[in-house]
Amino acid sequence: MDTIAFLAPLFAPQVLLTIALGTFGGLVIGALPGLTATMGVALLIPMTFGMSPVMGLNMLIGIYIGGIYGGCVSSILLRTPGTPASAATVLDGYPMAQKGAAGRALGMATIASTIGGLIAAVVLATLAPQLAGIALEFGAPEYFALALFGLTIIASLSGDLLKGAISGLLGILISTVGADPISGVMRYTFGIHGFASGFAFTPALIGLFALSEVFTQMERIAGGEEPIKSVSGRWPTRAEMSESKGALIRGSIIGTLIGIVPGTGSGTASWIAYNEARRASKTPEKFGTGYAPGIAATESANNAVCAAALIPLLALGIPGDVVTAVLMGGLLIQGLAPGPMLFQTNPDVVVGMFGGTFIATIFMFIFGMALIPVFSRILMIPRRLLAMSIVVFCFIGAFSINLNPVDLYTMVGFGVLGWGMQKFGFSQAALCIALILGPLLESNLRRGLLQNQDNVLSFISTPITLLFLGLTVLSAAWPYISRAIVRDRATQHQ
Amino acid sequence: MIKATFTAAAVAALTAGAAGAADFPQRPVQLVVPYSAGGSTDLSMRVVADTFERLFDGQMVVRNQPGGGGGIGSSAAIHARPDGYTLAAGAQGPLVILPLIGGTDYQFDDVEFIGLFARSLQLMVACADAPFSDYDGFIEYAKTKAPQIGNSGAGGANQISAEAFADAAGIAIESVPFNGSSEARTACIGGHIDAMVASPAEAKAASESGQMTPLFVMEDERIDLFPDTPTAVEKGVDFTWSSWKGLIGPKGMDEETLAWLRDAVKQVAEDEEFKKTLTDMGEFVTYEDAAAFEARARGELETSRSVLEKLEMLGMNN
Repeated sequence: MDTIAFLAPLFAPQVLLTIALGTFGGLVIGALPGLTATMGVALLIPMTFGMSPVMGLNMLIGIYIGGIYGGCVSSILLRTPGTPASAATVLDGYPMAQKGAAGRALGMATIASTIGGLIAAVVLATLAPQLAGIALEFGAPEYFALALFGLTIIASLSGDLLKGAISGLLGILISTVGADPISGVMRYTFGIHGFASGFAFTPALIGLFALSEVFTQMERIAGGEEPIKSVSGRWPTRAEMSESKGALIRGSIIGTLIGIVPGTGSGTASWIAYNEARRASKTPEKFGTGYAPGIAATESANNAVCAAALIPLLALGIPGDVVTAVLMGGLLIQGLAPGPMLFQTNPDVVVGMFGGTFIATIFMFIFGMALIPVFSRILMIPRRLLAMSIVVFCFIGAFSINLNPVDLYTMVGFGVLGWGMQKFGFSQAALCIALILGPLLESNLRRGLLQNQDNVLSFISTPITLLFLGLTVLSAAWPYISRAIVRDRATQHQ
Repeated sequence: MIKATFTAAAVAALTAGAAGAADFPQRPVQLVVPYSAGGSTDLSMRVVADTFERLFDGQMVVRNQPGGGGGIGSSAAIHARPDGYTLAAGAQGPLVILPLIGGTDYQFDDVEFIGLFARSLQLMVACADAPFSDYDGFIEYAKTKAPQIGNSGAGGANQISAEAFADAAGIAIESVPFNGSSEARTACIGGHIDAMVASPAEAKAASESGQMTPLFVMEDERIDLFPDTPTAVEKGVDFTWSSWKGLIGPKGMDEETLAWLRDAVKQVAEDEEFKKTLTDMGEFVTYEDAAAFEARARGELETSRSVLEKLEMLGMNN
């Protein structure tokens, strides 16, 4: 079979070494807050000019996979999502590290990322052309329905529904700052030039989660409380693994499906996976307290997105997310136009990229597992020093993305906001979800209305919209339904 | 005494100035790309920087400063110290269109044009399931119903070119803005819009596999990549449009530095290796000196002004 002949070049030592270097580099980039997988791939594209397509593209895929994984490190250890993809990992990863199980949390994240990555890679290698068709069905009404469904997560993530709704609506309000997606009119920029495209997402995230945590810790340090950290090994316990099974499988499938839909990506996937894991769990109240299945869900989902986002790219020539859009640039430079023709004209490249996805995932596992003790050491740094270094990282991270000084104010502003929200029991996660999904919701609502002459009924016209709108209703009603079921069982037992 | 020092300092300053221009550049030149890394402008600027370093033994650092439709990075370069060490990728949207819409802290006349080395040609393509498949069918369809034409963002270059064509051809269109051209392309291949403006690189593979159908080329003459696709001009509509890849800087650079930079752009554009890499990326390598570049931009400024006026977007954000 030709496939084997096409896979052989991958095992040349220099190709393996390049993929390993890419994956390792991606891991480091992802672990540093503010440096994202997108940036890593884009910056290293010029290096691939002179490489063979399989070598160059697989190095970029390695950076992508390593970068999305690496984000979990700072999420778990520092409460600073290294990339937006890992924002949801903060919810259970950080509390777990606080309880002295940082090593096990990182181990869980590594295993979950690997399983998610491998499952999506299998789907990519076997079903890419068939599944890519799904991506084409998504028009404005479908994206709108998906975003609406995503927003219902807020209801189940917040203990207090009213406070959750307030956080979510605040997030949507904040996401409307900047140019109107349809008319281009500036909204709520108060004439500040740097806000022309709204609050930058990553600086906002860094402020919301990391800087706010520093503020909270400074209060605690000032109170004289300085807990001594112990860092556990690296393998999750048998109990943790068996509890996480469902979350892992569900996260991988959700990540794969969301990854195939262009324009959504790993941020959305990890939040939805987290919510579904929590909803399906027998002990939903443990989520958010340092519960391993929470990490398993988000990390399997965000790495599943990596391979899945390659599906529409390779099969249709449509990038599934921002990083694959940059990868498409890499393909074009090699003189390869991604799309249905690529499977016929350059099967070696397609098969080579499928294979590279597996190899990079394996390297990611090896490096991740090997480095856990090194990463965990971070927690041995005295609290005061660590807090100061996080502040420095926050500023560097927030500035390095756009080199826009306004982003620093954004970061500090969101830091203060996040601190206040934490103090008064408002969910930062709800705000974060709204920031991710708000723009998707708004622009597709507006675009859908524009394209259908303001006919609202067009939003319930296709099976996909009906599916997601149905899920939305179900999801919003779930707390009441589950309570009714519990009550039912209770009466039966009597 | 004071006077003597003054004179000496002045003389020193003058010679330093002259010497500075003679062995420019003495330190790394920053090249601001007003978009995020990885897009077509960014990638071609990285090739420019590579070529520059190879030809002139100086360093050129690409600095991505995205945001505000390219307005933030362009502003940074236009307001930089005019010493030749901060330049920017001259991009159509932020230089020609944004100042007209408003909300920028610079105007067209604040821009110093240095030289153009490539253009991104544009085609109008019909999307999957569109009710037309060639130029004549497109115009015929537009007589009964405004075709929905996707673009890369409200007030972006793609919207202006589609509207400007509609104006010249006397048809009505409905512009559907997306968040970037890659989203528009997804909607196009999925059949959610009727047509869009695409680059040859974007349209080539898609039209070979039947996902898109080229309608017309926005050039004076037919292009090699699409020999069977007519131009609007040959169909009797006086309309051409392309986006450009050039260098700009702040006003106020001294003559020698400016002359050096202008010559450098020429040498980069004529370098064989540069031409090959950029052509492989789907760009159309062509050199235009500062005057021709500025004249081209000024022409588009006028086209954009009349389109924006019609769309009631002129000065909208001021």
